Amino acid sequence: MKDDVMKTPIPVSLPPLATGLIAVAACAIFGWLFLLAESEVAVLGLVLLAVLAGWGAQKTGLSATLGTAMHQHSGAMNGAIVASLLAVIALLGTEHFPLLMLSTMLLYLVAALGLNVQFGLTGMVNFAGAAFFGIGAYTSAVLTTHTAVPPLLILLAGGLIAALIGALLIVPVVRTAGHYSAVVTIAFGVLFKTFLEVNEVLGGPQGLMVGSMNVFGWDFNNGPVLMGHEMSFYVNYALLSSGLAILAFALTRRLERSWLGLALDSVRLDETASACFGINVVRAKVLAFTYGNILAGIAGALYGMMISFIAPNSFTFSDSLLMVSIVLLGGLGSLWGSALAAVIVVLVPEKLQILQEYRFLLFSVLVIAMLLFRPQGLLPRGVRSYFPGGRAQR
Amino acid sequence: MTRTASRRTVLAAALTAALSISLTTPALAKETVKLGFIGPLTGGVSNMGLGGRNSAELAVDLRNKDENAKYAYELVPLDDECKPNVGVQVATKLATNRDVAGAVTHYCSAVAMGTVDIYHKFNLPIIVWGAVLPDITYGNEYAEVHRVNGTMINQNEVAADFMVAQGYKSWAIIHDTTDYGKGHNTYFTKFLTEKGGKILGTFGVTSDQQDFTAELTKIKELNPDVVYFAGLTPLAVRIRQQMDKLGIEAEFQGVSGMKSDAYFAGLSGDLAEGTVTFLEGAPAAKLPGGAYFMSEYDKAGFGENYEAYGPFAFAAMNLLIDAVEKVGPDRKAVTKYLADVKDHESITGPISFDDHGQNTVALITKYVAQDGKWVVWEDSEYASGKRQLKHK
Repeated sequence: MKDDVMKTPIPVSLPPLATGLIAVAACAIFGWLFLLAESEVAVLGLVLLAVLAGWGAQKTGLSATLGTAMHQHSGAMNGAIVASLLAVIALLGTEHFPLLMLSTMLLYLVAALGLNVQFGLTGMVNFAGAAFFGIGAYTSAVLTTHTAVPPLLILLAGGLIAALIGALLIVPVVRTAGHYSAVVTIAFGVLFKTFLEVNEVLGGPQGLMVGSMNVFGWDFNNGPVLMGHEMSFYVNYALLSSGLAILAFALTRRLERSWLGLALDSVRLDETASACFGINVVRAKVLAFTYGNILAGIAGALYGMMISFIAPNSFTFSDSLLMVSIVLLGGLGSLWGSALAAVIVVLVPEKLQILQEYRFLLFSVLVIAMLLFRPQGLLPRGVRSYFPGGRAQR
Repeated sequence: MTRTASRRTVLAAALTAALSISLTTPALAKETVKLGFIGPLTGGVSNMGLGGRNSAELAVDLRNKDENAKYAYELVPLDDECKPNVGVQVATKLATNRDVAGAVTHYCSAVAMGTVDIYHKFNLPIIVWGAVLPDITYGNEYAEVHRVNGTMINQNEVAADFMVAQGYKSWAIIHDTTDYGKGHNTYFTKFLTEKGGKILGTFGVTSDQQDFTAELTKIKELNPDVVYFAGLTPLAVRIRQQMDKLGIEAEFQGVSGMKSDAYFAGLSGDLAEGTVTFLEGAPAAKLPGGAYFMSEYDKAGFGENYEAYGPFAFAAMNLLIDAVEKVGPDRKAVTKYLADVKDHESITGPISFDDHGQNTVALITKYVAQDGKWVVWEDSEYASGKRQLKHK
């Protein structure tokens, strides 16, 4: 899903920044069309177009140009991406369903960024992503129904409680290595769902209602009125989840580029060697694990408010697998990859509803094909740049 | 065959197919009305969802063949995976699609609980075809929400009526402490007291309890006519065994959750014999329009069975289509029409909605254990007088 305007080799005269901006605009238009696409022909056509454009961008060297643009003009490019995201939300305006999907995508992205720090940077696979997401959602369910805590704080509380419950797992996860710690998280994910199902106070298998988001008296479940037009109430959630996603993205990017990120990378590559060079392996792992859980918890808290009804069935092991697959599909450690993969993993099964019971069959085929042809992920993480923005040349 | 030749054949086939499709569209175009269906088409209970989907599709197809129908109908089937979050997504999708006039939705109760708010918000009239939790219709004041199948409320009303009619006077109640067991206890107690039955004691047990000696010893002392158990098969098996061990001679009465063949697999000898239980719905063959439904379903050649709730999906879709035929594809008008449904004929028997949109004459079937099988009461040797239920 890179660009659909350029099929021929790019004219050399265009500077990287201009190419980048055009590509961002093209992606935004594509995303807008795809969110609105309803019929089989439109959906399949757009998917085909995206695949072709991606392939073409690779062949013509466009992706390299884009990489340069992102590298040299990160401010302008990031600004353009944020602006186009807002533009898409504004364009969708009254369309409830596409906005719901967009917000879902953004919240899954936040959770996936957290998992990326755990899995992609530090090398700890967390198969309980949906459980931490669920902890956030249940926190917001309990706090919105039983207390008068301001909903914005509830988001933080969701992250905090996810981190606290995650702290219970720290000892087994840190003391075990590789596959064994993955098994610990699987066990936790299953345990979490069973616990909810037998727990009467938390609604049991039937689930719980969640109150709506409310910022200083602005109820998110009422559509904002803009110039006499009533917008969809999902506009509120889309804006807030964009904010969260941008914040989480920026924070994760900083973490990745910092010395801490370097430590996490080295722990992934070789624990023993890192320990020999004086890196505190336990601290690095605890940091990554907690950071990821906080992000998943915050995203889950807002997701619960948006969906307004949650049950243990929404946070099963297979949902955790879906989150891990976002990280894998995008490319380990690649933040933009996660963003792209979140779009695919959330949106494609939904767009395939037209196939009814066969939709997961086709979805699985797509995933397998992608892993076959691009095992390194859609947007593999580049080599760590120690001097972001090319400042080294100064 | 050479490569070009085969390609030409494919092209010809495609053209023929396209031509035949364009030819079969009716010459006189009616206005098309879209109707939704939501159920679990993938996942653990997909057999139920697919059976429901096929039945709803059958209702639509049959009506489209009817030349007197005012509109052409198009089914929009969506998959909720039996997950509330996915359910909310697809419900939003359906409810915000202005071409959809109404929908037949949900097999899973948790999903239905999550989506009723959305239907209300967007004024989409829906008829639940499978979810059984009473709160779906009774937990809100939404005019849009209706249900054709029965709930545990209807089940217990029938159960209380039936047992009192058999001449029983006193009960002891054991229920598991899930929503399911507690709900059954509440409604059975309510209806039984209304009909004049006496409850000597009520005992809550956890849903994985192994030993019931404490509760049963107390029950032996109370000496009721009937032990009523609200819960699932595994517990029912243990309780029935331990009742025998302690020499409790009371009749054993259960709820829908233990009407499974595992009940007989778990019990030795003739311990199961004479146990009675109740189930929402009925075997398709026993339904008023069952023979018609089954023959049409067979003719349509679906790959999957219609399962227990297929006939309800069929009846719900038919009712929705009748509503559209009468008042046109307008959501508010359809909701208004559905509010006044009284004795509407359907293959599951007459449908009447109360002020919460719940079908009040929902079908409940009584079963009795006879020779290691669940037999519909009316067909059993107990009803014919050949055998006797336990009376002490």
